[in-house]
Amino acid sequence: MNERRADFDRFVAGNTDTLLRTAYLIVGDLGEAEDLVQETLFEVARRWPRVARMERPVAYARRILVNRALSGAGRRARRRRELAVEVPPERGADTGPTYDIGGAHHELLSALVALPPRQRAVLVLRYFLDLPEAEVAAAMKCSLGTVKSTASRGLARLEQALRTSNDTRSIPT
Amino acid sequence: MTDQLETDLRAALRARADQVPVAAAGRLTGVDYRPRTRRLRPPVAIGALASAGAAAGALVVILSLGPEASNAFAGWTAKPTVPAPGQLAGARTSCEQSQSPIAGLPLQLSDTRGPFTFSIYADSTTSATCIKGPSFTVVSGSMSSYPVTVPAGHILMDSSHATDRAGAAYSVAEGRNGSDVTGVTLTLDDGTNVQATVGNGWFVAWWPGSQVVKSAELATTSGSTTQTFELPPAPPGAGSSGASDLGAGRGGSGARSGLSFQGSSSSR
Repeated sequence: MNERRADFDRFVAGNTDTLLRTAYLIVGDLGEAEDLVQETLFEVARRWPRVARMERPVAYARRILVNRALSGAGRRARRRRELAVEVPPERGADTGPTYDIGGAHHELLSALVALPPRQRAVLVLRYFLDLPEAEVAAAMKCSLGTVKSTASRGLARLEQALRTSNDTRSIPT
Repeated sequence: MTDQLETDLRAALRARADQVPVAAAGRLTGVDYRPRTRRLRPPVAIGALASAGAAAGALVVILSLGPEASNAFAGWTAKPTVPAPGQLAGARTSCEQSQSPIAGLPLQLSDTRGPFTFSIYADSTTSATCIKGPSFTVVSGSMSSYPVTVPAGHILMDSSHATDRAGAAYSVAEGRNGSDVTGVTLTLDDGTNVQATVGNGWFVAWWPGSQVVKSAELATTSGSTTQTFELPPAPPGAGSSGASDLGAGRGGSGARSGLSFQGSSSSR
């Protein structure tokens, strides 16, 4: 049993950071992203004996994470988590506006934020995690065709937003 | 344009992801994701237990904690103490201000042992506990998927182990009791007896160290009984639903507790 526990600990150590970054990119709020990851890992822990036998446990975790991110389940289930600290950590809301879209990528990130959640999630999985479309489909629990069309629409909207932004900037005042 | 857009998008996403503080992932890896163990066993006749050499009939409090006792838990007592003025209110303030599995749950019971206050918050399907000590506050959440009804003369116990940031182990036991149960004294596997606080259909106790509960002596309105807790090995590959068998958890620092597997099967 200790070996099984060690396997889970290794899974947490090896995947938490990427799961958290993925969640953050999808939901745009660090506190909510932490909640989502915590909920996801709790669920993985509960089913670990079965999950551990999967070829890619992280794909299962990713699917839970994305599903919760898109359904808002993480927000509703915040209290179902376990947190043991000597000093209560700062809350996400207290850390200030972490969703900073300034800098070199301001326009692109602004356009990304404005996308519908499913389009944003597909683009995050595809272009942040560099997942093949089939794995994106598995994470999103949808067909390959849906991934392709959703990604295409998302990119088109980003492109349109950037074009509009450039046009606006080029108007002489 | 699309190729360039994809390149730019990758760069933008990486840049935004880099805004996530390293400490945030550290907080998440320090969480104990192990569900509580939940065990219920039929009571054993007092006479049978007495013949095996165990104490029965009276509440026995042994203050010795063994080598795992820690200065972090100085002042702990095996028997609940009367709260100092303001102790309960102070604990409630600390617990309910921390970020929270506690949010929205009503306070059910508080247990005080010297400077420590252990509180349980729960509704019909979810519970959370909080231990407030002189130098720390620990909030733990737990999920139960079904409302609990405990038969008379029994308790249904959740138990778990953890460590504080310095690696000092402690254990908690809490649960529901049958309506006729008026007192609960836990006997740990090293022989230590810990008297629980009982009220409102709940009992709570905790102790420094990683000892597991062997049995509970229950005072009831019609006498007393002893409920034993076996520690069966988890079945290989079991656990696709219900309790996990990840074993003892980690503490706030994320340090391994080094505790032995306690068992995970549920018997009702």
